[in-house]
Amino acid sequence: MRNKLHALWRTFFGDSARAFGSASVILLLLLAIAPAKNHFSQWRHYQKQYLHLIRGRADAVTLERHFQGGIQQIWMPEQQVTDRCTTCHLGLKEASLADVSSVAFREHPVIPHKLTEFGCTTCHRGQGAATTVEEAHSATEQWEQPLLPAKYIEAGCGQCHLENQTGTPFLNQGRQLISNSGCTHCHTIKQADGTYIMPDDDPPSLKHIADKTTRDWVYAWIKDPQAYASTATMPNYHFSDDDARDVSAFILAQSTPLQPPLQPPLQPLKADAKAAADPAAGTTLYGQSFCASCHAMQNAAGMMVGGNVGPELTGIGTKAKPEWLQDWVANPNHYDPATMMPHYRFDAQQVATLTGFLESKTEPDFVANVHLDGATPQQIEHGKRLVVENGCASCHEINGIKKPENFAPELSRIGSKPLNQLIFVEGVEHTLPGYVAGKVRNPRAFGPSLKMPQFKFTPQQIDAVTTALLALTDRAQSQPPTMRIASVQQTKYQPAGNAGQLMRDLRCLTCHMIDGHGGDMAPDLTWEGTAVQHEWLTQFLKNPETLRPALIRRMPKFNLTDAEINTLADYMMTVYQTPEFDRDSLPVSQFGTAQVEQGRQLFYSKFACQSCHIADYKTDKGYIGPALAGTGKRFNAAWVYRWLKDPQALRPGTIEPNQHMTDDEARSLTAFLMSLKSGGAQEAMKK
Amino acid sequence: MASTLDRLIDQVRENRIWRSIFRSGTGESNLHRSLFVQQNVFLHLFSVKARKRTLEFSATWYLGALTFGTFLILVITGVLLMLYYHPSVPQAYVDMKDLQFVVSSGVFLRNLHRWSAHAMVFLVFAHMFKVFYRGAYRPPREFNWVIGVVLLLMTLLLSYTGYLLPWDQLAFWAVTVGSNIASAVPVMGGKMRFLMLGGTAVNANALLRFYVLHCVILPFAAILFIAIHFWRIRKDGGIYPGESAAEGDAK
Repeated sequence: MRNKLHALWRTFFGDSARAFGSASVILLLLLAIAPAKNHFSQWRHYQKQYLHLIRGRADAVTLERHFQGGIQQIWMPEQQVTDRCTTCHLGLKEASLADVSSVAFREHPVIPHKLTEFGCTTCHRGQGAATTVEEAHSATEQWEQPLLPAKYIEAGCGQCHLENQTGTPFLNQGRQLISNSGCTHCHTIKQADGTYIMPDDDPPSLKHIADKTTRDWVYAWIKDPQAYASTATMPNYHFSDDDARDVSAFILAQSTPLQPPLQPPLQPLKADAKAAADPAAGTTLYGQSFCASCHAMQNAAGMMVGGNVGPELTGIGTKAKPEWLQDWVANPNHYDPATMMPHYRFDAQQVATLTGFLESKTEPDFVANVHLDGATPQQIEHGKRLVVENGCASCHEINGIKKPENFAPELSRIGSKPLNQLIFVEGVEHTLPGYVAGKVRNPRAFGPSLKMPQFKFTPQQIDAVTTALLALTDRAQSQPPTMRIASVQQTKYQPAGNAGQLMRDLRCLTCHMIDGHGGDMAPDLTWEGTAVQHEWLTQFLKNPETLRPALIRRMPKFNLTDAEINTLADYMMTVYQTPEFDRDSLPVSQFGTAQVEQGRQLFYSKFACQSCHIADYKTDKGYIGPALAGTGKRFNAAWVYRWLKDPQALRPGTIEPNQHMTDDEARSLTAFLMSLKSGGAQEAMKK
Repeated sequence: MASTLDRLIDQVRENRIWRSIFRSGTGESNLHRSLFVQQNVFLHLFSVKARKRTLEFSATWYLGALTFGTFLILVITGVLLMLYYHPSVPQAYVDMKDLQFVVSSGVFLRNLHRWSAHAMVFLVFAHMFKVFYRGAYRPPREFNWVIGVVLLLMTLLLSYTGYLLPWDQLAFWAVTVGSNIASAVPVMGGKMRFLMLGGTAVNANALLRFYVLHCVILPFAAILFIAIHFWRIRKDGGIYPGESAAEGDAK
């Protein structure tokens, strides 16, 4: 054996010439490794597999013609995209490959964008430049952004689309949650278009909290806000009993009395004979005032009924003091000038009835176990420190404490945060989505000393918030502005003058929208002055009735005086006019009976308007659109005509279809509609 | 067969073109051999004759030659890498990715350059230890030792400037730390750092500066000093043959 080895050695390295020759051959072989590795690369293997796949298919010829060998890439330098994904993913554009079992070669699901214009990593992340499976898809030593898990994919859309899209419900929900949960009170989020995500949760001022509620309630509330109201936005700070005691002590101690001070409850009125005779009066008034449009309340069956604009009222009697409730119902502006709640102008009787009704909505269990002794100065001092440390003033106005700036880390680029700047804990997946979701799910798991409180999110909501946060990337910030679909700017709009004063007092914009500002609970009033007649508007403000047969909800009655109604109507008739046309440009007098009759034909036969609208309460049953029986009293003919010609031009987004009527048809239909002058629904029913 | 090959070689050597390049012509005589060395621009740096003892492995462990070998590899691979590299902030790291993923044998090229650089640093040190422990630095070779020290510095600077070029985190922070160390020098530290980076932070100017240093200034300076280093071997009496042989010379 030894001899053989020795002989072998002598053959190849016996003398210097042989050794040189052998060494050269070995070196050559070693050098051949590099080109060999090049030749047997992964992507070539995938291209071979793809060819094998398509050759077995019916449309092999077409597919083969589309196939291009070698490394493929989508290159968009100004967007920093160099995506070589299409080197292996060869069937992305082949509709006939939608059924292929291998994900690598399947057709891309239909999206509104061209792959060649947007690339792959723009939405999916991963390493576009890579040509190996591992490097392209995963987080490796040199690449921190792996493919985004499919459930967060809408984060890709959110980088450019700063406004809501119908195709991205998850992203929209996440953004909504971020502003509704008040995340941005503490965290700054500056979007790529320079706008900031503003909080939309409206946390109350605590400057006069002692006028409103008791220390017991405050204690129980900060221990667990959701125990009081399941819909509460305030997160849980997990205060210990002692800390909650001290915080409640300070919160009550810093409160100053309202000016002018609250009046004692009007006991005589509460015991009024009429109210006592009708125990349901409170419920009725609550219903008639449409409180439930904004406030939710748990009914006897434990179901939550009502809107989410205002706070839940299930336990309001336990929370609010009677004198405060009375003051608030009478005029909310007194306690909170910035509230969204309208000033209802209830009379003394109504105030007493509603206050009594609300007082009866109690949750005695909530504060039953709270037994607090009087607060000591040390406790108040300690409470103040806790309030400062926990950033309570980021959301609430508190006497003597300034709103801290940048209390929590800015999140404008959280979606591109390098992993090496994050601290992970046990049980949190070592990826960016894992970290973000973990933080949203249970912030205190990252360290007991961290300040971020616990929000009550469902797993689905956590994923939605994570999606919205992951959309805040470096790419979103750095890409060319032309790529961006900007967010809708919410600026402040203030109607002017006496009428403006009145409109603010009534909080019209909580429900109505004017020129893009305001709520979406009630019709857009931007061009109301062109649309309606002065007389009708005055009547409506005096006694609002529902215009839509399918809706029970209507505008609440505000007990306005005639003078106030005139001010409002005059203002709206003058200011809220479209510049497109004159409301008096089509006088009713020029319509003849023949035209009216022709319009009736068109209404009932050609366009079958009665499927959605009511022209005559006796015969028609349409309930999708508003009743038109009173059109002649309500609208101006010019508006009706224009509306018939192109509804979307007057109110973008309306579901009224554009029937593409001829001028004559629209004119006749207008003539017919303007001849309808019956009263409202109630009046019609009476007849 | 051997004779055919010999004849062919002779024919080539006698060719006019060949003779115009290598003027010494063929011949086994010492004159021919010495002329061949003297009249070659590269070889004339070396002496015509060398002691047999100095060519043995034990004399030098061939460390100097190996160092020069790695330097040649570095020049060749470096020039090839320059074909794929832009010294600009948005492009530099992208070029690394291109070398990794789309340039044929790009990874091999980068690795060859990187490992040769490591090997060169190691070999330079080994070479200097060998010279030091054999006492080859002593007069009359003390100046060449100094040149050697300068070449060590060149090697280290080449390594350091090359480190920034991939423009990754490792590079960025290494140079940040390095330049901050420079700024700790008394009196002129801040100025030195500014000069080094072409600004106050590691950014586009620093990248360009390091690129020019790495690819132009330092390599040419190194070649110059290598030439002097080789030439001084001849001028200082050839490779140091060892203590006993040196004493023998003196006798």
